[in-house]
Amino acid sequence: MAAKWVEALTGSLEQKKQYKQAMARIKALPGPYADAATALHRYFLYAGGLVDGDTIVTMIGDHADLWERAALDGTPVRAVVGDDPVEFAEAFVRAYSGKEWIDKERARLRSAIDAVPDSAAPGSPAPDNPAPSSGTGVD
Amino acid sequence: MGNQMTEMLKGTLEGIVLAILAVRPAYGYEITARLREQGFSDLVEGTVYALLVRIEQRGFVDVTKVPSEKGPPRKVYSLNSRGREQLDEFGRTWAFLSARIDKLYQDIDNRQDAGE
Repeated sequence: MAAKWVEALTGSLEQKKQYKQAMARIKALPGPYADAATALHRYFLYAGGLVDGDTIVTMIGDHADLWERAALDGTPVRAVVGDDPVEFAEAFVRAYSGKEWIDKERARLRSAIDAVPDSAAPGSPAPDNPAPSSGTGVD
Repeated sequence: MGNQMTEMLKGTLEGIVLAILAVRPAYGYEITARLREQGFSDLVEGTVYALLVRIEQRGFVDVTKVPSEKGPPRKVYSLNSRGREQLDEFGRTWAFLSARIDKLYQDIDNRQDAGE
């Protein structure tokens, strides 16, 4: 009961533990892998827009798996991140983006457009044959 | 990799990887290696890894952890029924696109034949 009360204030303690474990695994990697993983981690949290604790914990656990494997196999850092590390980071984060803060705005945009009357009502010009401009524009 | 190849792969690599997994289950590195053998020589491991994460999150594959001789267990991905449906849809979409593009090239050829 006490744990529940505390977690309501601080978030899940179990999640925090898993998060810390994943961070410790990243720190324990050989130099170049630890550096690359730390840089990516910063970017994930900065640009990812993830709010759901479970998702973050799963993501950084998978991220630690990826670099541990690369370090053991001796895969060069470049062979993991490719020419553009940003592209890699964004593809990685996007895979987990089930519950993003932007979802709320996406839903709002969809319903806003749904609520707009359809401009292609009967009688109005077809989209590929637009009406000529009224001639009041600047020449 | 050429820029056009990179752009086109963005839309098709998922289907390609699902097709590879339809043959037999595999882990990340095997998939990258198989793709490289088949001519995708500049494909980086991270691209495939990010894609595997995505298809796992979308429920197209089942994942089992298989112990490896050294280090943490390897994640082996196998196609499940949802993945098979997705692969079928990819196949249909690809057949449509490829037929359309062939037709456009035929039109170009016919026009050249008629003009010369």
